[in-house]
Amino acid sequence: MEIQQITKDKRDYMYLLLVADPQEDMVDRYLDEGDMFILKDQGEVKTVCVVTLLKNHKCELKNIATLTEDQGKGYGRYMINFVCEYYSGQCDTMYVGTGNSRKTIGFYEKCGFVNSHIIANFFVDHYKEPIYEEGVRLVDMIYLKKSLESKLDVKKVVDMAIEAGRILLKNGAEIFRVEETITRICKRFHVNHVDIFTLSHAIFVSAENGEEEAYTRVKHVPLSAPHLGVVAEVNDLSREISAGHVTINEAVERLKEIDEIPPKKAYVQILAGGIGSGFFGVMLGSTPLESAVAFVIGCLVNVWVLIGKRNHMSKIIVNIIGGVLLTAFTLLFQYLIFWNAMRIDGIIIGAIMPLVPGLAFVNAIRDIADSDFLSGTVRMIDALLVFVYIAIGVGCVLSLYYRLGGMI
Amino acid sequence: MIEGILVNGVCAFMGTVGFAMMFNVPKRYYLSCGMTGAVGWLVYKGVHLYASSAVASFLAALMVVLISRMLTVRMKCPITIFLVSGIIPLVPGAGVYYTAYYLVMNQLSMAAQKGMESIKIAFGIVLGIAFIISIPREAFQMGYWRQKIRLRKIRFRRNRKNRLQG
Repeated sequence: MEIQQITKDKRDYMYLLLVADPQEDMVDRYLDEGDMFILKDQGEVKTVCVVTLLKNHKCELKNIATLTEDQGKGYGRYMINFVCEYYSGQCDTMYVGTGNSRKTIGFYEKCGFVNSHIIANFFVDHYKEPIYEEGVRLVDMIYLKKSLESKLDVKKVVDMAIEAGRILLKNGAEIFRVEETITRICKRFHVNHVDIFTLSHAIFVSAENGEEEAYTRVKHVPLSAPHLGVVAEVNDLSREISAGHVTINEAVERLKEIDEIPPKKAYVQILAGGIGSGFFGVMLGSTPLESAVAFVIGCLVNVWVLIGKRNHMSKIIVNIIGGVLLTAFTLLFQYLIFWNAMRIDGIIIGAIMPLVPGLAFVNAIRDIADSDFLSGTVRMIDALLVFVYIAIGVGCVLSLYYRLGGMI
Repeated sequence: MIEGILVNGVCAFMGTVGFAMMFNVPKRYYLSCGMTGAVGWLVYKGVHLYASSAVASFLAALMVVLISRMLTVRMKCPITIFLVSGIIPLVPGAGVYYTAYYLVMNQLSMAAQKGMESIKIAFGIVLGIAFIISIPREAFQMGYWRQKIRLRKIRFRRNRKNRLQG
């Protein structure tokens, strides 16, 4: 079963619409401005419905019709559930008007509609020919209403919120932001009782709606390269969601798109590492020549870091070998190419920068400042260990070199 | 002097932008990231002339977070973008190198000194961030102050009216 929205050639489905509303000019009144949906089962159109938006976050189900021989198979109910969910983003009440027929009113009541109001003599005033249903003439229009807020599935909301949280955490957002975003999204979709517990590698969410439905999810978030652009995108999306511009299905789609935003191209990242190394070298007191060498070595180190990321190597390997590489290259440049024209440390302090875990360090501090001590400590240890790994790499090569007496 | 400021400012700007690129920050934020980094580094350099590197890091971090928070409100994007880029120049990468270097050279007292200095710098940054982060978010929104001033004016007027009537 699939449901599509129809925007063109709505009159093609007139034969079905007339099942529910027998007078064509009455259908024409709402056909153009209303949103039309069709339900297809195995490629065959089974049910059609038209909904119009009213003022003050209300909408009206103008027409819903199922092929006569397929009635009672649950198509109509499926369709009503779909439109309720679809409009719950922008409306809070849905109305439906019908004749005084036990069968149709019973159907709507099963779908969760309750009595609202009656318009007297509607069918007598607006329809040229009398309509009979179950042998009774229809006279008054009976309106039923349904509040859409309760319609949203807690599961769906929490799944979407936790997906947003996962993307944020994976791409280097703080714990505080992850929790705030999840709470904000859940609030917007009326899931009010949410408890969130976020660690640096996992998110736990437990949500409750009313009395019965409780739903808990745990999501593991493996470490990966930071992508602050994605964090900014999710942040924008969460703003839009809480402003009420985005429905839940749109949000799920947008999150999928955001998750697939690629990182910057490899050569840009490599150059960026070089630029960082070169200029930081100057800032830390290197001469221009040393900085130029630091630029080259920074690029080379970043090539290694990217290779490591592609092949999912562990941090230990990437950083120790990174330290080894950058020191080895420095010694190489120093003694083989420039003949002692530079200080080793002038080059290394610049070239070391692409390896330094700046983001982990800053995030650790932020988490601690927000009193998320658990994640803060984990991230801080992560950052400190990376410092240690780099030092081990650099230290090994230097000590080897000095043991050999600087005679290469 | 001026030349030093210029060289340091430009280098910090470019270096910070380089790191922003590595963290995949969107292009539209490069300028603000670079500025944040440059200002932070200049503050560090300036203070470092008169005080220890830990104090300098603290004040520089204070400045960086302050600027980041203002930019966040203005540009409506996560603070992490500016914060990370701005803090990067202050992260004691050189300190780590020297610690490793002296350890290898078996100059343990120098290694301990450098290591302690790096840790102090890190704590300076922590304090700087923690200070500004604990200021409530509203304080960085212009609307909050405008409303506050308006409220004060209304209250003032009401008081004066009451006094006149009384």
